[in-house]
Amino acid sequence: MNHYKYLIIGGGVAGTTAAETLRRGDKESSIAIVSDEPRMYSRIMLSKANFFLGKIPFDNVWLKEEKWYTENKIDFIGNTLATKLNAQDKTIELKDGKVLQYEKLLLATGGEAREWPLPGADKKGICYVRDLSQVKILMENVKTAKQAIAVGSGFVSFEMCEMMKMAGIEDVTLIMREPYYWYPLLDKESSQMIEDALTKGGVKIIREDEVKEILGDSRISGVVLNDGKKIDCQTAVIGIGLACYLDWVKEAGIEINKGILANEYLETNLSDIYTAGDSAEFNDLILGEKVQLGNWINAQTQGRTVAKNMLGTHEAFKMVSFYTCIGFGLNIAMSGDVRVKTECRVVKRGSPEINSFARIIVDCNDEIVGATFINRSQDLMLINKLIETNFKVSGHESELSDPNFDLKQLLSK
Amino acid sequence: MANVKEYARDKEGSNISKIVVDLDLCIGAASCIAVSEATYELNNENKAVVTDANAVDDETLIMSAESCPTKAILLFDKEGNQVFPK
Repeated sequence: MNHYKYLIIGGGVAGTTAAETLRRGDKESSIAIVSDEPRMYSRIMLSKANFFLGKIPFDNVWLKEEKWYTENKIDFIGNTLATKLNAQDKTIELKDGKVLQYEKLLLATGGEAREWPLPGADKKGICYVRDLSQVKILMENVKTAKQAIAVGSGFVSFEMCEMMKMAGIEDVTLIMREPYYWYPLLDKESSQMIEDALTKGGVKIIREDEVKEILGDSRISGVVLNDGKKIDCQTAVIGIGLACYLDWVKEAGIEINKGILANEYLETNLSDIYTAGDSAEFNDLILGEKVQLGNWINAQTQGRTVAKNMLGTHEAFKMVSFYTCIGFGLNIAMSGDVRVKTECRVVKRGSPEINSFARIIVDCNDEIVGATFINRSQDLMLINKLIETNFKVSGHESELSDPNFDLKQLLSK
Repeated sequence: MANVKEYARDKEGSNISKIVVDLDLCIGAASCIAVSEATYELNNENKAVVTDANAVDDETLIMSAESCPTKAILLFDKEGNQVFPK
């Protein structure tokens, strides 16, 4: 039985960054990563034009070369799954029956694209954008499809609608349950900017409707919506969220909810077992509640923090979470808590008319708790700093709402 | 010609003498800023720009480049050899 000081389940950005940080802090001890993928790549790149449309070499998607693992003395156990955890014996069993022993265990198992819950959802042409193998299939499909649909109103659909249009698909239709794009995280005004960009880019938008039936034999040929409308398509991109499959973790006695529950140190309820990344449902010190976030920077930063804690420091994870996406000439970002609760007010900065619009969400304590940005990325990190430092908004509304006011001036106050 | 922006670095004791940001690759993910906000910021075109090439030590600078999901940050040593990505 192989014995590792540090065993990491999951070879994505959280697990790999953790391994990297562990090695920086401990040059000698044994480290292993168990991953269901061949090695670490850029999930973010998968939906970007440079990669998706082949403008850069395919191999640029890999963020770690094979030699990186050997040079850093990290055992990479790829293309397999962990299937059983025995916390008492401190062992992990893999799909092939192999058993690994650990001293400290990190569960950075990420998540899967939520499956389309409809009969016939296994037909060819129905694609997801979660991992490299799925995107390879989608890249093949867009070569021949003349019509396509995207389902969902989040960043997957937004970015993929642009990719499909750029790949030359004539008819791209976006189908969403919501009354407007990114509801309820965005307001109607911001959403209108996105929908205008989609429409201008040649995407048809169908709101407040759902697919009730998938047509076609082995391959999708179309869909029927709840209102009876039929749309022909040879490809469908499904972006309806993330799901974590954690039964094996739960069976080991680890508390889970939607994700693996953890405190602000990213420790689970069992000693020497940690979690980080998309699978972690952790105590967010900024928001003051348990949250699960599915984004690159959160996973990467948690990977660093959790490794430090595995090395013996006691460092809380504290970060204003944010994510960004691009498409149709827009860059969109959200940071902190973007839900506008009844006691909150919103300070608008810029406007849709000038194609540059941010909303700064202020809570009843007069502090900024979150913000949304369209074509205002220059404000993103500065607003995050104001959130982090509990900046008091009163008296600064006119500065915050002036799109030309330099927010750096507020940081020293 | 690649659309790149170069920044000279002359920090004492540092082996890295140049930071290059490939603006065609940069997607404004801001992961570099999450590592070192003293070094980078996003401009109004959603691209990372270096505001202070000497702000941090080599280890932090390498971490910031490693964090980029599109490998848009390149680091060079005094002899002009690429230090990252290797």
